[in-house]
Amino acid sequence: MIKLSDVSYAYPDTDHYTLTNVDLDVPQGEVVGIVGASGAGKTTLAKIISGFIPHVDGGALSGRIEVDGINLPESTLAIAVSHVGLVIQSPFNQISGAKFTVREELAFGLENQGVEREEMATRVGEVAKLLGIETLLDRSPYALSGGQQQLVAIASMIIMRTPVLVMDEPTSQLDPGGTRMVFDVMSKLRDSGITLVVFEHKVELLREHASTVHVIADHQIVASGPARKVLSDPRLEKWAIGTTRYTRAAALAEEKSLLPKSTELPVSLEDSIDVFKGFKNLKKG
Amino acid sequence: MPTSLFDNRKSVIHRLNPVTKLVALLAIIVIVFAIPVWWVSAIVLVVVIVPAAVISGSGGRLLSLSLKILIPILLVLFIVQGLTFPGGETILWRWGVLKLTTEGLLFALGVGSRIIVLILASILLVLTTHPGQLMSALSEHGMSPKFAYIISSTLQLIPAFSDRANSILLAQQARGLSLKGSPFRRIKVMLPLLSPLVLGMFTDVEERSTAMEARAFGSPAKRTSLIPVPDTTLQRVLRWVFVALALGAIATPILMGIL
Ligand SMILES: Nc1ncnc2c1ncn2[C@@H]1O[C@H](COP(=O)(O)OP(=O)(O)OP(=O)(O)O)[C@@H](O)[C@H]1O
Ligand SMILES: [Mg+2]
Repeated sequence: MIKLSDVSYAYPDTDHYTLTNVDLDVPQGEVVGIVGASGAGKTTLAKIISGFIPHVDGGALSGRIEVDGINLPESTLAIAVSHVGLVIQSPFNQISGAKFTVREELAFGLENQGVEREEMATRVGEVAKLLGIETLLDRSPYALSGGQQQLVAIASMIIMRTPVLVMDEPTSQLDPGGTRMVFDVMSKLRDSGITLVVFEHKVELLREHASTVHVIADHQIVASGPARKVLSDPRLEKWAIGTTRYTRAAALAEEKSLLPKSTELPVSLEDSIDVFKGFKNLKKG
Repeated sequence: MPTSLFDNRKSVIHRLNPVTKLVALLAIIVIVFAIPVWWVSAIVLVVVIVPAAVISGSGGRLLSLSLKILIPILLVLFIVQGLTFPGGETILWRWGVLKLTTEGLLFALGVGSRIIVLILASILLVLTTHPGQLMSALSEHGMSPKFAYIISSTLQLIPAFSDRANSILLAQQARGLSLKGSPFRRIKVMLPLLSPLVLGMFTDVEERSTAMEARAFGSPAKRTSLIPVPDTTLQRVLRWVFVALALGAIATPILMGIL
């Protein structure tokens, strides 16, 4: 669904590459997580996958970028955005500023596409229910808390129903409950066939919801693979992303020979329940 | 927290098609500037603006918002023109080189009355016009969506940005910035705060346009609108009447010059 081969990119007026030799292969109907420290190039990659680089930001882009069968750099932005949606990092800036209520704000993209009024109303209702923001529909988008604004921003892109959805730190302003809900929504969207690329820091939730995870550091993708394997990699500490306490506890237990060396390190609580079953067996034996 | 200037009510003025109000505003501005006598402004004020403000129910907010803008402008205008108007001969009061003249005051009255009409009418339009409807109405009347967006979002975003300015100020105060002291000292303290605000605005504009494009803003499709924009035959006629009045106002001084 998404295929990047040997993609490198430098912003205009800079003398260095922000991303070099990036390869990425995302099959249809998957949630893929991409992690990286601040300034690693997450937003840059998000803009490449959604066509804003090179169509809006100039700069030097090389390599092949194909999304939903479209060669993005050779296509136009209008075509690109009908295949891939982007939830930008700042919810404040995702909101159009031309609308008086959340209801109209959600419909903004559909108005631009010329969708009929009745269908718009139906889709607004659906997406508001999905994200639990029905009670906000008649409020001003600017009279919301940061987290509520973020939910509106996410909803305003989901309503576009693009086959691919890219989200740049979509839960940065949400409380744990809101974060969990957004991840659950991602899984629901995936089940309906949508392909999602999520740039996130929340390692434990990525472990639960993403099938594959990639790590960006030093301008490159430095690790890729199944979520549990990548997210328990001790090098995550060095890359300034960090591992969960379950991973660290299991690693420590291994070091002290309390666990067999061959153990696949856990990331979430669920993983560690399994792993520490082994711990009990070892103590008995 | 001011989130929008729009004063959400259901009056007749609020329910007018936004384009009708915009045409009326432009006609009023043309009229008071084309015919340069203060009593034309006074008539417009008494016959159009005051009744419209009263009917709309937004008169209170109109008054408080416009006074904040008008008082300093008018004070400066009357003091400067009243005291230093070059052609002033009828001296009412004198202090050294400064003399208060009738001609100066009349000049200030001419300019001031027009500014009053301009400000009151513009603010009344903003207060009574739903920004989303304004955008839909403008694009329905053939204006490019980009331009329509710029007009309606500016009206919405000004209060949003002033909120942000407040939060920057608050953040600095939390870090020990003191706003006490002379006005001069306060300006000196506040100047450095402008740069995060202005820089922030530039990156915001860039990001916001990215987000707009992602929501099909550049789409060639014919736009639709979630909220229907009301229009009536009476309003269509009214709009042409306003255009005719404005043209008449432009023609008046020319005709009077010939006759
Ligand atoms: N418009 C630009 N021009 C030049 N350099 C830029 C531009 N935007 C970002 N960069 C640089 O590119 C690098 C990657 O930035 P990017 O925004 O992609 O990071 P990020 O991983 O999204 O960080 P964060 O977690 O803080 O959002 C940074 O070093 C940044 O300074
Ligand atoms: Mg970023």
